[in-house]
Order: sequence, then structure tokens, then C-alpha cells
Amino acid sequence: MKNFTLPSEELMGSGHLGCQGCGGALAMRYALKAAGDNTIVVIPACCWTIIAGPFPYTSLKVPVLHTAFETAAVAASGVRAALDIQGNTETTVLAWAGDGGTFDIGLQSLSGAAERNENIIYICYDNEAYMNTGIQRSGATPYLAWTTTTPEKTPKAEPKKDIMAIMIAHRIPYAATATIAHPDDFIRKVQKAKSIYGTKFLHVLAPCPPGWKAPSEWAVKLSRLAVQTRVFPLYEVEDGERYILNEPKEDRALPVSEYLKLQGRFSHLTEKDIQAIQDLIDKRWQRLMRQVRESS
Amino acid sequence: MKKPIVFTSEREMPPMAVSLADMGHNRTGSWRYLRPVYREKIAPCKNACPVGNDIPRILSLVSEGRYEDAWRLFRETSPLPGVCGRVCYHPCESFCNRKNFDEALSIASLERFVADACFDLEDRIPERPKRSEKIAIVGSGPAGLTCAYFLAKDGYAVTVFEAASQPGGMLRLGIPPYRLPREVLDREIELIARWGVEFRTNTKIGQDISIEKLWEQHDAVFIATGAHRGRALNIPGEELAIQGLEFLKAVNVGKTIALGKQVLIIGGGNTAMDCARTALRLGAQPVVVYRRTRDEMPAIAEEIEEAEHEGVQFEFLAAPVALRRLNGKLEVQCIRMQLGEPDASGRRRPVPIPGSDFIMRADAVLKAVGEEPELSFLSEHVETSEGIVIERAHGILERAGIFIGGDAQTGPSTVAQAMRSGKETAQAIKSFLRGERKPKPKKLEEALRVNFSYFVHQPRVPMPHMPVAERITNFSETKRAISSERARAEAQRCFSCGVCNSCDNCWVFCPDAAITRIDGTYEVNYDFCKGCGVCAEECPRNVISLVEEEL
Repeated sequence: MKNFTLPSEELMGSGHLGCQGCGGALAMRYALKAAGDNTIVVIPACCWTIIAGPFPYTSLKVPVLHTAFETAAVAASGVRAALDIQGNTETTVLAWAGDGGTFDIGLQSLSGAAERNENIIYICYDNEAYMNTGIQRSGATPYLAWTTTTPEKTPKAEPKKDIMAIMIAHRIPYAATATIAHPDDFIRKVQKAKSIYGTKFLHVLAPCPPGWKAPSEWAVKLSRLAVQTRVFPLYEVEDGERYILNEPKEDRALPVSEYLKLQGRFSHLTEKDIQAIQDLIDKRWQRLMRQVRESS
Repeated sequence: MKKPIVFTSEREMPPMAVSLADMGHNRTGSWRYLRPVYREKIAPCKNACPVGNDIPRILSLVSEGRYEDAWRLFRETSPLPGVCGRVCYHPCESFCNRKNFDEALSIASLERFVADACFDLEDRIPERPKRSEKIAIVGSGPAGLTCAYFLAKDGYAVTVFEAASQPGGMLRLGIPPYRLPREVLDREIELIARWGVEFRTNTKIGQDISIEKLWEQHDAVFIATGAHRGRALNIPGEELAIQGLEFLKAVNVGKTIALGKQVLIIGGGNTAMDCARTALRLGAQPVVVYRRTRDEMPAIAEEIEEAEHEGVQFEFLAAPVALRRLNGKLEVQCIRMQLGEPDASGRRRPVPIPGSDFIMRADAVLKAVGEEPELSFLSEHVETSEGIVIERAHGILERAGIFIGGDAQTGPSTVAQAMRSGKETAQAIKSFLRGERKPKPKKLEEALRVNFSYFVHQPRVPMPHMPVAERITNFSETKRAISSERARAEAQRCFSCGVCNSCDNCWVFCPDAAITRIDGTYEVNYDFCKGCGVCAEECPRNVISLVEEEL
């Protein structure tokens, strides 16, 4: 009895430099299974710059273009243009950036590409901080989380930037969230993105066990809990208008504490802090439900 | 493996940074300090089963509709699936991991379903070398039958001696047919006989044949005579009460017993429940008199529920102190009890309340306050205590080739425990005959960690029962069989704890692509596995263990 139906093709090889239980590595493995071998990956500065391996080695069985931090979307646009001019419309161009390169440093080039509706898939694997440089806060770091630049006494005071809302506001043809705990959903979304012309954006929650201060074996469990607690609902938005909810389907969610208590980066939270986070999540969930209702 | 590309000068390098080889040289396995290993574990249900039925595998076969294969797998570990599916107290269900998720699997009803579906099947009896050693088994209850089956399967010549006119022991004499239809019992005994077991009925040990003679004529003797002697109440007028077990035996062999309308049953065990429900079916209005409360009753909970359901009345915290006959009726003088401190059994001790005597009237009184083994045929050789052979004497007897098991060894217990004893004795006899030491039971790791995320809630299949009004007029079976569709659906609820069913999760969730699938099994590539443990965590059924790497 299979729980998932994953394509068997393996385009991410072993020997890569991801840490134990790396959510970003698992995300890449699924993304390439879905995208197939006729794919060019564009990677700006992020964990995957390291994970892929040092010159002249690579752990991916597809071409990779390593590029500067702020240029994932624009470099991908360039690769797309070069392919188009050769008459190659078959090859998928996949920009693969972390949360720093997406939420913060690469935001303007991403916005530009989205505004031009460049025919690329942009996947942000979000581990919620600048992890490979030493766990510094990013615009994706959640409210009240610990990082090395937001220590426990003054944890991050700002809520996580709503990158999905920003991308949806560009009215791109397809935007969706995914996690490594739901591989079938993830793969379906990449395949769907492949079938659509224009800028497709996927926001993938990719737990980082060292940065989140959690045991490596909980990488998938944490992603699953993020969905079950509505911290990270799985949904799709077509043409910036039509909202489709995938998970969680249950009327009742697990309390956010179930998710927070497993991670050392939240160990300093008080009951009041947890309630504040819960309120934030409830509010966002209600807004999402409204958007889903209004578009159906 | 060395790095495949090494540049010795700038000129050897490509004009721009281009990857020329993969990362296969980078053996990340050296990062690992925990090693995932596929180590199947014993499911708690199987571990709790006194005869060790391989429940997860059997249920997996049932879920695929492979009933014959399921039946044959039952018969590897037990000769009595039809009996156990009906009368076993199913400890397997109490340990089922699924009870912490929604409800335990209905394992007993599935065992019964498989046995019923395969009622006409025969064991495949292979050609096997006949052994010269002869074994006598005294008693054909669950212990004797089970021992006979496993010895005969190994080619030993087995003769079973039975005092009654038909084999079955307590299964036939003690358990009423509304719980165990006789055609089920007959069929399973018949299948045991097919293996070459000889049954000699109407032969009572100590009367028709002596233990000494059996011992001379056989290489080993197994005494599995059960516990048939009813305990006494030790009160005045005791002789006016009928032994509950004797009453059951008489009814169960088809004798007509007139009890009258008002029947009191003294006791709270399984015999008491059987007496009450049997009396009910003979037209009486039975009342069970028990000196403690319902919570302390030693009877199987399900039997108590059934008795209540059928209309048996209970008088708790009451104990008889004297019996008298008055105007053709029986008068039972009782005293009210209250619960005191816990006794050796852990149950609260009943303490009489002085001056609280009261009278209960009845047409008949059945006493069912426990049974003990009757081993007088042995008693000149060995020491016994309350009819049970004391531990020290066991060793002496076993060295001489005489084994005691089942209720004869322990006092009244369950069918399944008797079968376990019969099975263990078969092994002990084999070791004895081969001059080997008894094999030590292996300690197996239980599968206790189930990842509930991979299962959906599904209610347990209800057990269909005959309506009460219909039940209490006759002795036909009260529980009805479940349908084939329901059986399959129920079996599909099994988590298959500790047994890999090729769900792919370990392969799916490996962040290092270090697990390969090979024909439904998996292999970890330890050259690359970093030991993150995600596979073990995401395995739904606790098949993967993480073991520390040795330095």
C-alpha cells in the first residue's frame, strides 16, 4: 500500500552537502522529479549554492546556473529568452531561491519578472532565515522566533512577510504553497506550473533542523504540523483571483503550540507570546477562508 | 572514491566555472552517527497472543481476500482458530496499537470469519519421517489437543486419552454451545486426528489406566486433565447446592435438567456466567450472587455484559452463609458484604457486615466458586497444594518424562492459556526426547511507535448478535458471522505494526536519495546516508530502527 505516488526518476544525486534532515534538499528532490530532466535550474546565493557542491562538481543531474543573490528571477528570465530565441519552448526554467533571495534581496528582480510575466517557475524554499551564513533573521523569519541576530531577549518583533500576497498582487497565472510533508501535492503543483505559460511561483516551507533547533528526524513532521496548525496552509491561486484550499481540510486545527514546542527557536516563548502567535494565525486563516469563499 | 577531477594548472580549467562531474565521490555516510536499519518487530497483538498467531500477516491476507492463505497461517500456530475466534478472551485486542487512534481491531471476529470461511478446507499433510517415540496425552481439552497437534506434525506417534465419550474436554463439557457450536469443535478435532493423532475416549486415568502403565508404555506423558473439581462453599447445607460445572457438563452432553424457575448462582467467574446463561435458556430466572462488586468479577468482561444483556440478575456484595430446605423451596441465608483492603489478588477483600443477614429463596442453587485440578492419580508420587502440583515436583516429573500443563498445572485459566501450555509442552517434550535443553524463549522488540499521520479514522466493525428474545430460547450461537466485505474492510484497518508493507515512505522522505527500492523491499546506501532519521520517524509502522554507529 503506497501512501504517495512519486515519479521514480532521481535527478538529485547523493553526496550533496545538505545537513542531516535538510528540508531544502528534499524539496529539490521532489521539484526535479516533477519538472523532469529537461530543466535548467537557476540558483542565486542560498543554502543550495553550497548543497549542490563546489566547482567543478554538482549533485544535480540537470544544468545549473549559479548566479548572484538578487538575480534569480532575472537570470532565469535571461535563460528563458536565450532558449526561446533558439526555438526551444520545451525546456523548463526553474529559479530556485531561498527565503533571503526571495523575500529580501531578490524581491525587486522577482517583482520585475512577475510583472513581465516571464515564462519561468520560481520556487522559494523557505527555511525562515539566512541559514548557511549562520542563522540570521530574514523577512521570512516568523514572529518572535530566535535567530542569531534576534536573540532570545529581543526575538524577532515583526511578523513574517506575506510573500504569497505580494506575488498574488502581481496577478501571475499561478501561485501555490507546498511542503515536504506532502510530496504528492508538491509534485502535482510543480507539474501544474509546468503546464501553464507565464510566471509561476511556489512557496515551499522547508524546515532547517539546525536553524530551527530541532532534531533532524523531525524535518517532515514539522512540515506536517505547520499545515495541521494552519501556520502554513496549502493552497493555490490562479490568475491572482481564484483561491483553492488543499490542506488542512479539517474544521478544527491543532493549536500552534503543538508546532512551536518542538523547536528550540521558540523555546523562550511565554503563554502570552504563544497566544499572540495563535491570534495572528487565526486572523490569516480567516482571511484565506474568505478569499477561498469569495472565489468559489 | 577519489575526486574524479583534479586540475593541476589554470590551463586545465574550463574558461568559465562549469561542473564537470557529480558529487558521488563525497561519501557523506561518514557524517552519520545513527544508522537506520530495517528491523521488523513483533506487533503487540501477536506478542500478547498466547499461541503467537501472526496476526498482522494474517490480517493483511484477509484484507486482500486471501482467506485460505490466512487460515493456513493460523494453523501454523494454532489448531483451533474456529474455537479461539469464538471463546478466546482476545488479549490481542487489548494491546492493539490502534486503540490509541480510534478503536482496536476486531481480531477475534476476523479469526472466526476466516475459520468459518475455510470450514471445509483440509490441512496439507506432507510426507514426513515417522518417529518411533510414542507420547501419551491425558486429557483432550485445549492443552491436550494443541500439544497433540504440534507433536503429530513433527511425526511423533501421539495417543490422547479422554475420560469422556468424546474428545474436547472443557471445550465440550464446560463451554455451552451458544458460545461454541459443536460442529466447529468437531471439525477442528477431526483435522487434528488427520495428522495421525489417536483418540482413546471413555478412558479415565487412575481408573481405566494408571499413570504408571502409561509411563511404561510411552516415551513421554503429558497430563492435561484440566481443573474439574468444583470448590466447596464450606457452609451448612452445602449438599443442597449443585456444582455449577457438573450442571454445565450434564446440559452440554444433552441431559435434561429441571432447575425450576428461581435459580441462584453463587460465584462471579466464567463458570458462573455460563451457568446463569444456560439456566436462562432452560427457562429459569437466574440471579448471580457475588460477594464483591461487578468490578471485581473474575469473569471475562464480555461474558458479564452478555449475561446482563440477556436478563441475568445480579446480587452483589452478598455471600451465602447457610442453605436450608423449607416447604419444597431452598432458603439461602446470605450476609451483606462491604469491600475492605486489597488482598493478594489485588482485588478488594469482601468483609461481612455483622447483623446484615437476609434470606433469598430459590428452586435450585448452583455453586460456581472456582475449580481445582484433580490429580489424585499422581498424589502418591508428588506433593500438591490445593490440587496443584508444586513447582519443585515439576522438575522431578519432567526429568522422568512426565509433563503437566493447562488448567491441571495452573488451576482454571483460559482456553488460550491452556493452548499456550500445550504448545510449550510439545516443544519441551521434543527437547526431552532429543536430550536437549528446553529452548529459551526469544525476547522480541515490540512495535509500539505508530505514525498516526498515515492513517484515517475508521470505526471498528460491529459484531452482529442474535436478538436477545431469540437467543434465550435455545442454545444456538449468539454471535453472528460478519460478512466478507466487512471482514476485508476491518482487516484493512490493521496498522501492520512492525511489518513492512512496502509503503515507500522511507524512500519518499530520504533527503539524501540514499534509499533504493528493490522489488518491494528497501536498501539504505550507507555510503551516503547521513543518519538524519527521517525514514525511521516517517515509517508508519515502526519497522526502521536507529542504532548507534560504533566508532
